[in-house]
Amino acid sequence: MAVPGLRHHREDARGRGLNDTGIQNIQGNHACAVAAVAAGCRFFAGYPITPSSEIAERISVELPKAGGTFVQMEDEIASMAAVIGASAGGIKAMTATSGPGFSLKQENLGYAAGAEIPCVIVDVMRGGPSTGMPTRPAQGDFMQSRWGTHGDHACIVLAPWSVKEIYEQTVRAFNLSETLRVPVIVLYDEVIGHLVETLDPGSVDTGEITTRKWAGGDPAQYRPYACGEDDIPPMARPGDGYRSHTTGLTHAENGFPSQDPTTVDRVARRVLGKLARHNDLVEQVDCYDLDGAQVLIATCGITARAAKSALRLLQDKGIAAGLFRPVTLWPFPEESYREAARGKQQILVPEMNAGQLIYEIQRLTPPGVPVAGFNRLDGEPITPRQIAERVEELLNHD
Amino acid sequence: MTGLQIRFSGSGGQGLQLAAKILGHAAMLDGKSIAFSQAYEPTARGGLSRADLIVGGGEIDYPLVTALDYVVILDDVAVTASDGLLSSASTALVDVERVTKQPGGGPEVVALRLIGTAREAGNVRAANIVSLGALAARAGIAGHDCLVEAIRQSVRKEFVAFNLEALERGRALLEAPAEKPAPLGACR
Repeated sequence: MAVPGLRHHREDARGRGLNDTGIQNIQGNHACAVAAVAAGCRFFAGYPITPSSEIAERISVELPKAGGTFVQMEDEIASMAAVIGASAGGIKAMTATSGPGFSLKQENLGYAAGAEIPCVIVDVMRGGPSTGMPTRPAQGDFMQSRWGTHGDHACIVLAPWSVKEIYEQTVRAFNLSETLRVPVIVLYDEVIGHLVETLDPGSVDTGEITTRKWAGGDPAQYRPYACGEDDIPPMARPGDGYRSHTTGLTHAENGFPSQDPTTVDRVARRVLGKLARHNDLVEQVDCYDLDGAQVLIATCGITARAAKSALRLLQDKGIAAGLFRPVTLWPFPEESYREAARGKQQILVPEMNAGQLIYEIQRLTPPGVPVAGFNRLDGEPITPRQIAERVEELLNHD
Repeated sequence: MTGLQIRFSGSGGQGLQLAAKILGHAAMLDGKSIAFSQAYEPTARGGLSRADLIVGGGEIDYPLVTALDYVVILDDVAVTASDGLLSSASTALVDVERVTKQPGGGPEVVALRLIGTAREAGNVRAANIVSLGALAARAGIAGHDCLVEAIRQSVRKEFVAFNLEALERGRALLEAPAEKPAPLGACR
């Protein structure tokens, strides 16, 4: 199966590989860049920051080959503004950064959410806050990714755990962003971003590439934020003759500012409700060994890979544990979690931060079922053994 | 699956990342799956640098090393970095010039003139490829033709011949040792 982007790897281009199947060793950040181009991204504006810089570096090479544009901007604020502008101009657009840069993008991310401009933002998490440990991993942006921008807003956050999944979820980020007119954040830690794994293009599953719904019909009747049953307004493609107005102010269906309480409430509820309405597209979880498990481990990213290995270590000791991994981290897959947690005696939330995901887990866990954390703040990944030992410790305390 | 776990470690700038990348590429050419991770400091040179490789036959569950089968150590700064990852089942290939401390955990320690051999070959910066040659001779991991091909594809054309020579010299250190490897710190 041909997977766009993956066959243009340097080794393949040199044509001397002993291996001519397209299988290659590729870094997570590079997989993100080639996946974006494969998904139809034709504009990238960014400001390099460790550990995300390889995305900008790679896409600066790939985009011109695909007829796209790469711009290194003066800072992250301008990068996000440029991405919104490009997308409003009808082009699939992306930026990539790490925690501190992500903070700078938050104001404009609010604009994208409010004006329903499709865009993809990649945040490769490092040790923080501030300059912190640029080359070391952390998972400190779980909450920033959902709540970093201001006001009530809709956004989707996807959390891959491998190089292959970075490719798949980057494509999915564009598809969701375009289909639902919502900013989509691809969130992963430095370990996954810098990890190089052997990728078989035949194993990559991205499905169809989708593009936003364009305005059709009589241009004179077009209202930029009017929509049908699906709650997603079609966008005016520049050059098609549709007049459109875009603003960061609350607006009516005609796109112009409005503070009429009835209108503001109606539009706000549609925008905030559209993800729930399309939950079949949005939600994705990955679960292991849930049946009969007494312990449930809930986590994502590299920590989830440690947890999956820990399941086997625990099994060897006669402890039945399962793993719940939200691939779509936000909106949090509430019902799937409740289902996974059913009948469990202990929940463990390991994460490379002081405790963020645990708040969501505590909120959704039935009363009486203990929820414990395991947290590393030292720039080192959590190991399978540490997770297994923490589970044993928790069970022994009972 | 867990796979074979290998680490190249030393001081930033010694080419450890490239050595691991080439070995990973060779393993891939040989039909294996790899996971390659690294850690280095924000400085351009110096400080601890380590490059970890897991080589397996299928999908690798946990991509970071947890128990090293082989470690290459080219500088004292990296000796303690593998504490907790080495055991009597591990093998440590260490440079006799720059490594004076004993790695913890009781691995089999093989002290080799890795940097000295590179210097004799004409460029001390080839110590990474000398190490790669020695490690490959000891551990297998990838076929020799795949290693040679990986070097061809990974280094600039003008340096291919020199790197292939460094690889051979590294192999020779372990394949047909001319003399018993020197004990730790012998050259200091």
